[in-house]
Amino acid sequence: FCLIQDFFLNSTAEPWPENATLYQPLKEDQILLSDCASSLAVQAYLRMCGLPVQVVCRVNAEYMSPSGKIPFIHVGNQVVSELGPIVQFTKAKGHSLSEALDDVQRAEMKAYMELVNNMLLTAELYIQWCDDATATEISRPRYSSPYSWPLSSILAYQKQWEVRRKMNAIGWGGKTLEQVYEDVSQCCQALSQRLGTQPYFFNKHPTELDALVFGHLFTILTTRLTSAELAERIKSYSNLLSFCRRIEQTYFEDKRS
Amino acid sequence: MAAAMELRCWGGDWGLPSVHTESLIVLAYSKFSGAQVTVSPIDWTWKTLTATVPELVCGEAAVKDPNQILNFLRKQRFNADYELTARQGADTMAYIALLEEKLRPALLHTFWVDAENYANLTRPWFASRSPFPLNFVVPSRHANNALSRILLTKGESPLHRITEVEGKIYSDAKECLNLLSYRLGTANYFFGNSPTSLDAFVFGFVAPLHKASLPSSPLQSHLSQLDNLTRFCDNILALYFSSNHPCKK
Repeated sequence: FCLIQDFFLNSTAEPWPENATLYQPLKEDQILLSDCASSLAVQAYLRMCGLPVQVVCRVNAEYMSPSGKIPFIHVGNQVVSELGPIVQFTKAKGHSLSEALDDVQRAEMKAYMELVNNMLLTAELYIQWCDDATATEISRPRYSSPYSWPLSSILAYQKQWEVRRKMNAIGWGGKTLEQVYEDVSQCCQALSQRLGTQPYFFNKHPTELDALVFGHLFTILTTRLTSAELAERIKSYSNLLSFCRRIEQTYFEDKRS
Repeated sequence: MAAAMELRCWGGDWGLPSVHTESLIVLAYSKFSGAQVTVSPIDWTWKTLTATVPELVCGEAAVKDPNQILNFLRKQRFNADYELTARQGADTMAYIALLEEKLRPALLHTFWVDAENYANLTRPWFASRSPFPLNFVVPSRHANNALSRILLTKGESPLHRITEVEGKIYSDAKECLNLLSYRLGTANYFFGNSPTSLDAFVFGFVAPLHKASLPSSPLQSHLSQLDNLTRFCDNILALYFSSNHPCKK
């Protein structure tokens, strides 16, 4: 970790290049809900900072990533993955959305980001890989689509086994789908109450928390799963819906396909 | 509400009513909400191996996991969060998530994976509280669970070596303690003048780190610099736990 920090310090001299790229799995066939949400969160964050980045889809994006997680960005001669490190990296280059926050607000922002990671991301992983219907119909076929048999089966089952192990370790292994949906509802309720009637979570200006929440909520709302229950739970919070629409219109209007 | 409630948990030491984080959370909350709970420690029984702790037994129902237990107590109208606004309730959820994601891995590492601490403090304590022959089995089982939990949640595949993540989990934990300290400020509790479930969670996570006599812990030294957090723990111990469990240190 200290090496990474040294890297960042060395890179402060270089400005953000024009050819920065963001890598993710194939959009149409391969990418899964949780990865798509994480990638969209990073894209939203970079757009909010005004940093141009090109999105490139690669079949082996997961393996190219230094931490094994999607997405990762390639800037100059550095490769950084996941929203947290990317935020620090851009901060080292002088771009930050949360500088104006005081200590207590920054503590709140980080706490809410962990809430999204702890509840929403974990729920997405659970629904994708621990719910048999979704795993069989959607996750395994999509995850293994670029590969031919038997590699496809091996990789898909290996990923499923890894995720299930993680779920068991954190105590989600014994949960039912209904309980997971309930957890998502509670998380959305907390986010909705925190957002209130403000345009962004910290009033007038978006921060990395807004990017993260947008990434997850927008992806859940626009992805077709075996059941529409998850999207329905989010739709019951109208301020979250208008929040997503606002960010889409402000930062993605030229792009959405 | 009239049914007697019994809480099974690990026993206390180091001036704390229990050395186990989850048990401490439930004990603190029941004190804050005024729930009368009989504490039955599982020390020196076979339950050290078989039971999932903490466990609240009320009549026929047995509830596990701190979140479920707190929900159960609230349904029985023992609610320490009664006066919180909706926004404060949302903040509670967020800060608990922060504790789970940022502080728990480092606490698990400090007590169960760090060789010096495990050999000199944790293993002897848990082994001495387990009946023969479980004293050979119980501590190592907890240690293995702790290690795999850290690697599965924080480890970056395909390396899965603990040394890779140690630096990161400790810096995350120090940042988390700093954030809690900023949020607490000079107040006695996180929300207003009476303790709520967030106070119970923070107490459960921070008190063992504050009180245990760990041979080597940079995290504990970091915590001792955050006066308001240590004062917070001592305050709760003095107000809610002093008559039952006099400080042994």
